[in-house]
Amino acid sequence: MNSAKHHEIARNIERSLAKCRPEDVEMRIEAAMLAGTHWLNAALHDIGANPPDKDVMHTYMLTINDFRRLSLPDPQPLAMLAEIEDIRPVYVRGDAPGGRQAADRACSLLDRLRAVALQAAAGR
Amino acid sequence: MLIASHLEKIRRLQNLRGRLQPLEDFELWFWSTMTAGTHAVNAALHDAGVTPQESAFPSQPGVYMVADGAGGYAPALRAAGDVLHVGRPPIAGPVPPDVRDMMDAMEIIESYRDPCVRDGLAPTAEIVDRCDAAYRRCMRALEQRLPEAAA
Repeated sequence: MNSAKHHEIARNIERSLAKCRPEDVEMRIEAAMLAGTHWLNAALHDIGANPPDKDVMHTYMLTINDFRRLSLPDPQPLAMLAEIEDIRPVYVRGDAPGGRQAADRACSLLDRLRAVALQAAAGR
Repeated sequence: MLIASHLEKIRRLQNLRGRLQPLEDFELWFWSTMTAGTHAVNAALHDAGVTPQESAFPSQPGVYMVADGAGGYAPALRAAGDVLHVGRPPIAGPVPPDVRDMMDAMEIIESYRDPCVRDGLAPTAEIVDRCDAAYRRCMRALEQRLPEAAA
């Protein structure tokens, strides 16, 4: 998928995310994961790290080789998505206390991933 | 997870689902549908005694996050527990027909997950209708097995 389409889908997910309330913990986290993945893929395409026909689904599904390769230009974007992914088991599939704060954290990481992608698009 | 917690999450997800427009908000509408349906299947599997209900949250097939005794959570190996998605991991052993039907309904929803949410296939009214019908079928079966799910 090309970066423009990733931007379009990420924006659509973020419009839906805006309809969530603070107590919608699970979908705020999932929206951050889904939109964040699209922003990450767009950035990786725009910096030439991955071609449009090669997308990351989850960081933990990458081979170690690919994780290292994609981290080379900047390890932070992959680390940000990985942190969102790590929030999911305990707060989306689990009922640990502190879900609202975890969702806030996921959304703040999404903001940073969007900024990375927009910067990569501007430098294309 | 405990059945009561699955039901609580379903109620919250259904509430949000009702505030989203299926086509306009397709990605999140679909994801809340799929997530609520998976919680329903997990609750039914616990109720049927097929999988254990416990405070262990799936991270990947065979790995669950459990309380570490120090206020946090740590990964631990578990042979069975909540599924992440229907079929992931597959359920070992017999599954009652009503729960099998719930799982079959969820397979319909799951078939649209990657095409529509990740790969850019444009959602249509027909896809929405198929997912919604499968979701309602899954929830009806849950409510028959666990009447408190209808509350």
